[in-house]
Amino acid sequence: MNFSRMFHNLNYTVSVLLFLMGLYTVAVKPNLIKKLIGLNIMETSVFLFIVSIGMVEGGQAPIIAEGVRSSQMVNPIPQALILTGIVVAVSTTAVALSLCLKIHERYGTLNASEILGRGEL
Amino acid sequence: MTWTLNLLLLIFLVTTAAVAIRLRDLLAVAIVFSAYSLMMAILWTQLRAPDLALTEAAVGAGVTTVLFVITIMKTTRRED
Amino acid sequence: MRRAAVIGALLMIGAMLLFAIGKMPAMNSRNTPDKTHVVPRYLEKGEEEGGAKNIITGVILNYRGYDTMGEVTVIFSALCAVVAVLDREKRGLSRSGPDASGVRSSVIVRTVVRFAFPVILFFAVAYMMLHGEGSPGGGFQGGAILGASVIVFTLAFGLPESTRRMPLKARIPLESTAMVGFLSMGIIGLAYGVNFLTYLLPGVHLALAQTIRNLMLTVIEVGIGIGGGVIFISIVFAMMREDKDELQPDVPQP
Repeated sequence: MNFSRMFHNLNYTVSVLLFLMGLYTVAVKPNLIKKLIGLNIMETSVFLFIVSIGMVEGGQAPIIAEGVRSSQMVNPIPQALILTGIVVAVSTTAVALSLCLKIHERYGTLNASEILGRGEL
Repeated sequence: MTWTLNLLLLIFLVTTAAVAIRLRDLLAVAIVFSAYSLMMAILWTQLRAPDLALTEAAVGAGVTTVLFVITIMKTTRRED
Repeated sequence: MRRAAVIGALLMIGAMLLFAIGKMPAMNSRNTPDKTHVVPRYLEKGEEEGGAKNIITGVILNYRGYDTMGEVTVIFSALCAVVAVLDREKRGLSRSGPDASGVRSSVIVRTVVRFAFPVILFFAVAYMMLHGEGSPGGGFQGGAILGASVIVFTLAFGLPESTRRMPLKARIPLESTAMVGFLSMGIIGLAYGVNFLTYLLPGVHLALAQTIRNLMLTVIEVGIGIGGGVIFISIVFAMMREDKDELQPDVPQP
């Protein structure tokens, strides 16, 4: 356990911490909307991890402009991949929320323990 | 200087996430989640990713928060 | 008991992940393995092969074009799933909770939205979508801002007013422009005998081929932008509608 390296890679450590917080919310809290918030926190923590890998000290944004040399730019590939990831995250959130609306219409509650405990169809 | 800014942003990020998990009024949770998206957008700017900052700001504050508020408005507002 | 078990499992997972982070190379360094193999070529040849000054646009439309096609498919399927689950377009009313109470927004909100809405629309279409190749921006960012501006209009003026201006007949063809734009531009490459989604056509004079490439990239970006924006608008409209039995009993039926 290399603690100084963990403290130097602060973005990675915080990303792991956020992932664990999101996972705790999904596993423990009974309300469905809280679970969705936890899922979103998990997704954004993974995005933070992947984009932080491509960061370079004193780097510039990967856009060709006056006075920016291409050897000074940050890594553009994680940014392109995470752009697609953000779109997929909002799409799954929209579908999950519409399912929550239908569940509330059918069962009258959004508490997962109560819904599972009823057992009827 | 940049390291201090980075540390401050990460502390804000963890704080807003912890508050969003802890609150019981779901409408307040949606608003705090919008603040979490804003912190994430500023962090993308600091990581030299302008496209991601624009997308996260438009999608996080514009679409995801509105969807959460519409759902909470039509269903329960308290957690239990 | 269950909570203690969950916290124990999370601590174990956290210990494993933090151990792995301790072994990773230091952050912000220049010669990590992810930056030494493909990235120098993408950064140097990004403008001439990708066709845009914004290297990220070149990467997502040219080097990683199939991923963007998959993303467009995902967001379109999300719209189909939301409309299929909620099932309100045919039998629901075009009213929502705030409209049913009969209280309008205040004058300040309505005036500010009336001034800000065209400015936001202009910024989204003219600067983000069409100039996305020279500055930070691009198709999807413009589309998200377009969707967000119509959502602001809906929140200030109410759902019936907003549905009157963007009726279902106008939204249905616009939702599929993203997928149609991608596929049509891809098939042009097939017609010339090269791969699907090739932008530099062979056998054509070089300056004309570059102009055609820029035109194709612009068509794809505008398609993704308008398609994404209208998909967000349709998702929010579908979730805001009321079903006939959801209205409160003392609200007059239209």
